Amino acid sequence: MPLWFLRGLRRGVVTTRYPARADGSATALPTPPAFRPDALTRELADRLAAVCPSRALARNASVLIFDVGACTACGRCREQAPGAVTASGEFELAATDRAHLVKRIPLLGDETARRSGPTAGQAPAGSQRGQA
Amino acid sequence: MTGETSRGGSVQETAGIQETADELRRSVASQFGRSLHIRTLDTGSCAACEQEIRLLAAPHYDLHRLGFFFTPAPRHADLLMVTGPMIRAFDIAARKTYEAMPGPKLVVATGACALGGVYPSDAFTHGGIGETLPVDVWIPGCPPSPLALLQGLLVAVDRLAGKVRDLSFMRDSLMPDGGHQ
Repeated sequence: MPLWFLRGLRRGVVTTRYPARADGSATALPTPPAFRPDALTRELADRLAAVCPSRALARNASVLIFDVGACTACGRCREQAPGAVTASGEFELAATDRAHLVKRIPLLGDETARRSGPTAGQAPAGSQRGQA
Repeated sequence: MTGETSRGGSVQETAGIQETADELRRSVASQFGRSLHIRTLDTGSCAACEQEIRLLAAPHYDLHRLGFFFTPAPRHADLLMVTGPMIRAFDIAARKTYEAMPGPKLVVATGACALGGVYPSDAFTHGGIGETLPVDVWIPGCPPSPLALLQGLLVAVDRLAGKVRDLSFMRDSLMPDGGHQ
C-alpha cells in the first residue's frame, strides 16, 4: 500500500482550505521573479530582457518594465543574476485590469526616475509588445 | 460610466441608490457565489492550462465546495475561461460561444498565452484574447496553478456582482425587499 495513502488516512481531510487559509504547496511552485531595485543596473536590465523568452522584461530608458502576465516563471532571469533576482513566491496574481500586471521598476543610475517612483499602467501592455 | 452621471438626483436619493447597489451586490454575491458555471474554451493552448483547470475538480482543490461547476454548454455558463493565444481560425467559434452565453457573463483570460505573453500577433494568432473578447479577469501563470485559478475565480465572482448591477433591467430596480414604489 503506498505511503501517501496511509498518510492521507492518518491526516483525514485532503482538501485544501485555500481561500480561508494558506496552502503549503503554493510555495513549492515556480513563481514569477522579484527584482531587487538596488542591484539593477541598465546593463543588467538589458541582459535580463535579452534572456527573457516570453518578452516579459523590457527596458525603457531607466525603467525595467516587468509584465507579470507574460511571465512564464521559467527562471532564466534568476539564473542570469541570482543576486538581483529572486523568486517572488507570489501566485495570487489575478487582476481585473491588464495594466495592473505590468510593473515598472526604476533602475540604478537615474535619480529622477527613482524619485518619481514606479508608476503602474502608463503604457498598455499591447504597445510594449509591439516595440519588442 | 455614463449611467453614473445621468442619474443625477438629490444627495439623499444618490445615497439610497448606493445603498441599493451595495445590497444588491451582496445578494448577488451570495447567490452567484454559491453556484457559478464555467465553460472552458481552448483557443490553441498547449493543454497545460487545461490540465491545471482539470485539477481544480480533484479532491485536493475541490472547487465544487466553493460553488463552481464546469458545464459543457455555453448556454448554461456564467463564466468563460479562455486559454491559448486565440488563433485566428477560432474567431467565429469564440464569438459564437460568447454570444451563446446568457448575461451577466464573465470572461477570464487564463495563462500567459491568453494574456499575450508567449505568441506574437501574426497571421495565425491574435497573440492574446484581449482584442477578441471583453476580458474581465486576467490570470497570469504558465500554467497558472490550481490555487492561482481558484483565486482568479474568486476575483471573478466579485466582478460578476458588479456586472449584474449594470444590467439594463436592473437599472431602475427597487430594493430587493422594498416592494413597489
